[in-house]
Amino acid sequence: MTNCEWREKIGLYVDGELEPREEQSVAGHLQSCADCSSAVLEQQALKKAVRVAGKRFTAPPELYASVHRQMLPKKPAGLWLKGSALAASVALLAVIAFALISRPSASNATLAQLIDQHVTMLASANPVDVISSDKHTVKPWFQGKLPFTFNPPELAAGSPFTLVGGKLIYAQHAPGAELVYQVRQHKMSVFIFQARDVRGEPSAANQTFVVNGWQQGGLQYYIVTDASREDTDRLRALLQDANR
Amino acid sequence: MAATVVARGNVSGLENKDFEKLAVPLLDGLYNFARWLCGDADEARDLVQETFLKSLKGFSSFREGTNFRAWMFRILRNTFLTSRTGLERRNTQQEDEEGFEESSVSPETPEIALIRRADTELVQAAIAQLAPAFQEVILLADLEEMKYQEIAEALDIPIGTVMSRLARARKQVREHIVLTLGGKRTVGVK
Repeated sequence: MTNCEWREKIGLYVDGELEPREEQSVAGHLQSCADCSSAVLEQQALKKAVRVAGKRFTAPPELYASVHRQMLPKKPAGLWLKGSALAASVALLAVIAFALISRPSASNATLAQLIDQHVTMLASANPVDVISSDKHTVKPWFQGKLPFTFNPPELAAGSPFTLVGGKLIYAQHAPGAELVYQVRQHKMSVFIFQARDVRGEPSAANQTFVVNGWQQGGLQYYIVTDASREDTDRLRALLQDANR
Repeated sequence: MAATVVARGNVSGLENKDFEKLAVPLLDGLYNFARWLCGDADEARDLVQETFLKSLKGFSSFREGTNFRAWMFRILRNTFLTSRTGLERRNTQQEDEEGFEESSVSPETPEIALIRRADTELVQAAIAQLAPAFQEVILLADLEEMKYQEIAEALDIPIGTVMSRLARARKQVREHIVLTLGGKRTVGVK
């Protein structure tokens, strides 16, 4: 090896820790220094290897569930309730009534949660846990993680859609799959849950996102995206065909 | 991650209900980190649960301008360090960080090819053989893609220590891979 004076900056360069001007200088130097270029390639290869191998464990569903339980607000038991069967009955009826009344808002909350999840994915440095455009890699990744299965569509060679990957998510305390597709410059999240866990909601849109939801084969599907409605409908048709 | 983007901004006015939104996306990364630290699934699960409990309780005292992700990882790590396993590992696996010189590896192309050839299992073994202080730095840098400053906050160490530990961790991972795949030949390491 040679002791190039730039070598100490290589780690910082690969980690993106240099100021823009310094970064430019290093990039310029790399054009003419084979040793430093090799060092950059090696560091990048090492980083990539650690990133892939380091992601070894996935939080089990029961941990998600127990953490969610921890975060539920604790309601203090009222004194009036103690020792009174009548009061308990009234409270039970009130809870049932509340649950019935609040059902529509619960499903709205689900949509809001899925839109949040989509935005989180867009902003994330690690948007998916399994990175692959091959459905035969992505689908098996969910095995053992979900109590159901589904078929990502087979994308033809000229298809505008590309599979980016997938990840395990939770909504309403139920596990589900998020498949991420790309169409031109837009990302599309496809969320899949058991229909009994996450209640269906017809298609909707806010100012930014299109939400397209349907049920099929006991599963609840949602597409959330900022792509066009036409693209959303096309992806929906592909998913529906693949899961018939 | 989105949670970090949010947390990097102004966090004043956050309420406990915001905690779930910020913290849950970090759960998988925290669990993965905990598994590496503890080496045991049950212990890692308990550690993550305790981390969430502590951070939820302490969320009201979460300071404006603090990086939320680094804060969560710091709580997890501190909780781990005070656990029985953490104390044992601290007492038995401290490594001397003095006398380390960075950039003592050769940038020869065959080594790059070996690193690229390394399978996941081999790289996992290379990470597993690192001392905890190096393991946590390389995982936060390369897996969680934290900036040096963020790692320094999460581990409560100076940024210079982050850099030296990271360089040393990478050197050891590289050596492990190259020596395993390339036989016993010397690869320019000290």
